[in-house]
Amino acid sequence: MNAIQIKNVTKRYGGVTALDNVSFSFSHGKIYGFLGRNGAGKSTLINLIANRIFADQGEILIDGLPARENMDVHEKIFCMSEMDLYDTSLKIRDHFKWINRFYDSFDLEKAFRIAEQFHLDTGKKFKALSKGYQSIFKLTVALALKVPYVIFDEPVLGLDANHRELFYDLLLSDYESGERTIIIATHLIEEVANLIEEVVLIDQGKVLLQESVDDLLEQGYCVSGLASEVDSYCQGKNVIGCDELGGLKLAYILGEKTLPPQDSRLQLTAMNLQKLFVKLTEKGGN
Amino acid sequence: MNKLKTVIQYECFTSFKYIWIFYGIQYACVALITAIVGISMGSFEHVGTNCLEVNSLIYVGILGVLGFHEDFKTLIQNGFTRRYIFLATLSLFAFISGIMALVDTAVGNLLHALSGNYFSVYASIYGYGNVFANWVWLFFLYLSVCSLFYLGVLVINRMGKTISLFLGVILAGIALLLAALFRFVLSGEVLSRLGKLALSAMGFMRDGSINLFFPVLTFLLATALFSLGSYAVIRRTELRG
Repeated sequence: MNAIQIKNVTKRYGGVTALDNVSFSFSHGKIYGFLGRNGAGKSTLINLIANRIFADQGEILIDGLPARENMDVHEKIFCMSEMDLYDTSLKIRDHFKWINRFYDSFDLEKAFRIAEQFHLDTGKKFKALSKGYQSIFKLTVALALKVPYVIFDEPVLGLDANHRELFYDLLLSDYESGERTIIIATHLIEEVANLIEEVVLIDQGKVLLQESVDDLLEQGYCVSGLASEVDSYCQGKNVIGCDELGGLKLAYILGEKTLPPQDSRLQLTAMNLQKLFVKLTEKGGN
Repeated sequence: MNKLKTVIQYECFTSFKYIWIFYGIQYACVALITAIVGISMGSFEHVGTNCLEVNSLIYVGILGVLGFHEDFKTLIQNGFTRRYIFLATLSLFAFISGIMALVDTAVGNLLHALSGNYFSVYASIYGYGNVFANWVWLFFLYLSVCSLFYLGVLVINRMGKTISLFLGVILAGIALLLAALFRFVLSGEVLSRLGKLALSAMGFMRDGSINLFFPVLTFLLATALFSLGSYAVIRRTELRG
């Protein structure tokens, strides 16, 4: 099966359960948004997929092969990490040269080309780069690697708006040129909302939902008006959150949209992905 | 296997230049101290040094520690398994130990030839004469020290600082217990046997002859033991954020 399969994965740190019997798949050939609040379990799962840490229970398969201690998956997956895991005393161009030898699928010319587009000085050592340029180096490596699965963990950390735009452009053109799976774990939901096809939402170590962005945005909407009318409309519906101001109320609903009664002054509006994310995760988080 | 070769090359190439930086600093310090002492005493006749390999031992110990801290995260980031990382690190230790043993053997013999007052660690124990044995002895000594420190840092990383501190206290307690055991419990005959065994392990045989193969075998066994321990720990080692 061409997918990253996460099967009944549990990971504990002392008394804290970071992931609790999580099962789902990242299918091949899609751009995923892997979303969750701080401490939700995103990085733990990414580290498990990348064989950096081990699951207490369950297993992770990449195209049917176990991800744990398996060199057969080396050319299948790459994880751009939020953490700084590179040799800080090596120059960027030397990093590129070594990565070119580590991976058969690394495009060295492309890496230098992308570095030039970002004005990344490849003659500098990793430690001499600013936080933003360290991120640029890491995402340059990920973009120049032609592996079937690429995970970006907070890829635009420290990047200015221009560089973020450039990254999203490069990511899309790269995706169009060759089908592969791209997983983006980020807090900047609205920035990636137009990019991602499917969302995996994780909260308190459990998967809250996995749906296509289109379906999700179609299902999620807001109803606003007088509190009594909103309450009446919301009866029997999956209300994921409410905001109130005086006698007015705004309810966030997930489910099939039904029109309000003819005589009501209720207003139905679309809900964006970020609001949906906030409302779905604030119950448990706050 | 190609990937293993590449990762070994990465380990060796990225560590190679630091050997020469170390030697550069070491010999600069020796030269400076010699000059200061010689000038202040007004004569260089009695100025000198011995056993420069001790500095190399410290360096390879640091290398054993850094072998984990720096390279583990870099290689894990590049998708290598712990088995590959372990094999590459061990190869790095062998590479560095081989070069440093060669340099120290050459320098030790050269300094002794230039000034009869200089004695290397090896020559202090076994005397000058067999340059190859000198190199092999130093090589396995450095290798065992690297492996010991590598095992140590892996254990500390796995257990965490607090438990490692407790472990350190327990080990110190065991050392004191052993000292007491030797001093007050074990009979003179047992102590004598243990002493002879230790001397044999270092090549000093009961008939008064010197067997240069035995100390090499002792260091080799120690390296194998530390390496096995390191592998047992690293295969369960997780990356810490």
